[in-house]
Amino acid sequence: MQYPSQAVAKPYFIAALGLFVAQILFGLIMGLQYVVGDFLFPHIPFNVARMVHTNALIVWLLMGFMGATYYLVPEEAETELHSPRLARALFWIFLVAAALTVVGYLAVPYATLAQITGNELLPTMGREFLEQPTITKIGIVVVALGFLYNVTLTVLKGRKTAISSVLLLGLWGLALLFLFAFYNPHNLVRDKFYWWFVVHLWVEGVWELILAAILGYVLIRITGVDREVIDKWIYVIITLALVTGLIGTGHHFFWIGTPEYWQLWGSVFSALEPVPFFAMTLFAFNMVRKRRRQHPNKAATLWALGTGVMAFLGAGVWGFLHTLAPVNYYTHGTQITAAHGHMAFYGAYVMVVLTIISYAMPQMRGRAANSDAAQTVEMWGFWLMTVSMVLITLFLTGAGILQVWLQRVSADPQPFMAVQDQIALFYWMREWAGVAFLVGLVVYLASFFVGGRKEAAA
Amino acid sequence: MKHPDDERATRAWLLLTAGTLATWGLGAAGLAGPWLAAAVLTIAVAKGRLLVLDFMELRGAPRVWRVVLEGWLLLVGALVLIAYAIGLK
Amino acid sequence: MNANALSPSPAADGVRRLPGDLAIWVFILAEMAAFAVFFAAYAFARAGNVELFDAAQETLDRGAGLANTLLLVTGGWFAAKAVHAARRDRIAAAGRALWLALACGAGFLAVKAMEYADKFAAGVSLSTNTFYLFYFSLTFFHFLHVVLGMAILAILLVRLRGGAYGSHGVLGLETGTAYWHMVDLLWIVLFPLVYVMR
Repeated sequence: MQYPSQAVAKPYFIAALGLFVAQILFGLIMGLQYVVGDFLFPHIPFNVARMVHTNALIVWLLMGFMGATYYLVPEEAETELHSPRLARALFWIFLVAAALTVVGYLAVPYATLAQITGNELLPTMGREFLEQPTITKIGIVVVALGFLYNVTLTVLKGRKTAISSVLLLGLWGLALLFLFAFYNPHNLVRDKFYWWFVVHLWVEGVWELILAAILGYVLIRITGVDREVIDKWIYVIITLALVTGLIGTGHHFFWIGTPEYWQLWGSVFSALEPVPFFAMTLFAFNMVRKRRRQHPNKAATLWALGTGVMAFLGAGVWGFLHTLAPVNYYTHGTQITAAHGHMAFYGAYVMVVLTIISYAMPQMRGRAANSDAAQTVEMWGFWLMTVSMVLITLFLTGAGILQVWLQRVSADPQPFMAVQDQIALFYWMREWAGVAFLVGLVVYLASFFVGGRKEAAA
Repeated sequence: MKHPDDERATRAWLLLTAGTLATWGLGAAGLAGPWLAAAVLTIAVAKGRLLVLDFMELRGAPRVWRVVLEGWLLLVGALVLIAYAIGLK
Repeated sequence: MNANALSPSPAADGVRRLPGDLAIWVFILAEMAAFAVFFAAYAFARAGNVELFDAAQETLDRGAGLANTLLLVTGGWFAAKAVHAARRDRIAAAGRALWLALACGAGFLAVKAMEYADKFAAGVSLSTNTFYLFYFSLTFFHFLHVVLGMAILAILLVRLRGGAYGSHGVLGLETGTAYWHMVDLLWIVLFPLVYVMR
């Protein structure tokens, strides 16, 4: 670690991992509710568990992105962070706001929460992933603006690199697109249309820029490959990501009441969304193959390569599986979507945050890399979580195929709940794979506490 | 002084122009049907190949790049023909 | 050292090499994949609506399509000549060739704009029927590529003036013109597919 102010990343990473644990626990609860419908009822109904599961994911990934940014921007800009104090203050504001929101979800019924927080003044609640009370949303905007102010000034006063520019572009896009969360038209079609501007353009647009920048940064550090080469790859990847991802939004507009041409545009452009992810896989493997130094942090290298592969599989292949309009006509909103969502979020965004944590945490704790013993444990965590996620995805895919068949394709279609009963076996297997994932997460977290002989300080 | 690269490019341009006129002529003659489809697609693939080899200069590139771009032409041509055949019935 | 040896055409000295930067070729392949999907989608959509497609195709101006194909093919020829001239340090000739290529691109855009204006004047739009959905989507997507290609050619022209290319190297020029040739290549497939085949 070259600049002391990089250390503000640490609380962000720790809080991110804490929320990760919460996300997985609530995932297991709702996974069980799939098959034992009244589990924990009425204390934690399914819709609440689901809300916590998805919102915790989003918040901890944002925490991870912010931590990553605070960590890498000073090094890229070759200057101290503009205001470490602001960064620390925003961390506590964000954490407290997130905690209060979760407490609100769990403590009172959602409608009551809406009432308490004055939702009728500016109604924004009640939409998937954007369930947060309006006041929390305003808090998110304030934190994001303070954060962007801080890092943008840092970049402006220091060296400008492709990585920091792409990262800033992604973060600014993230913040600006979130403003659509405040737009809540009465017309349901328009509501959904703009809702996707947040949801899709985040994960299949600007987040990909953040992903490419973080991955590029880590690869430069661990492989020692020339910045020029890495920059070129990043430019190609983000161009492809934006070209396919922006118009690819159309794959959400097939059946919501928008004009028919979206079926063509959405199909064609989103069919190509695997391309940037494929380029990312090639990128990661090529850079590691061409490496000019042997970085002692082998675990970080493994995470970086894993991100390339799993992002391509989860976001690319599993996305392509159901993105063409004629296919999506049958698969829309089935377990196929859930399968894709799980592997894509894990492969692309969870793994890239764990990559930067794996690289940066040892440095912030005063060493180039953890001891071999700790790295071995961390890599066990990697494999356990990754294999479990592959299994979750496969079981959900199986459930989805069966569901599509029984409920929509067969000559004698059955009602939703009747079909759910018949695919319960897949849900049980998914739940057990989820337990294995939790074990992997515990192993991963344990690696932070494994001592052993330390490598030389960074 | 004419350079061989320039000569190749000029030859390609003449052939591309001729191919374009031929395609247009076939259409302007009011033709239709599988033979027209096969003819204009063949011309298109041949034109594309010339462009790849002599404008893009992949004639002297590692073979894999030639194969990929020429393969693209053949693939697109084949897909269009298959679709055309499906439309005949 | 022989100046020609420094920036030879590919395989001129028996060494096979890819002209231009590898990154542009990755990008070109992605673009070509996009158009391949588009072309196939058009062809298969036509297979389900042959009468509709054939009738609507009659309303297209085949002469405009011919003119545009000739313009792009000629633009490609000029771009190729620009690279060849720059390799031999004929900077003025290379500059002229790039200008002519740009002029061809501008001509293409003008013809295409007139075609669009005709269609809009006749009250035809994206939502008229499946043929026009494809016609407008495909050609407009390609239209944007012509615009981007021309922007690249303009940058090449500025850099050429600044002495960036010559017998000491033409990598950037090869990179930019490769993209321009791709725009040409796509139209070579699009023209017979949309304007002629029936």
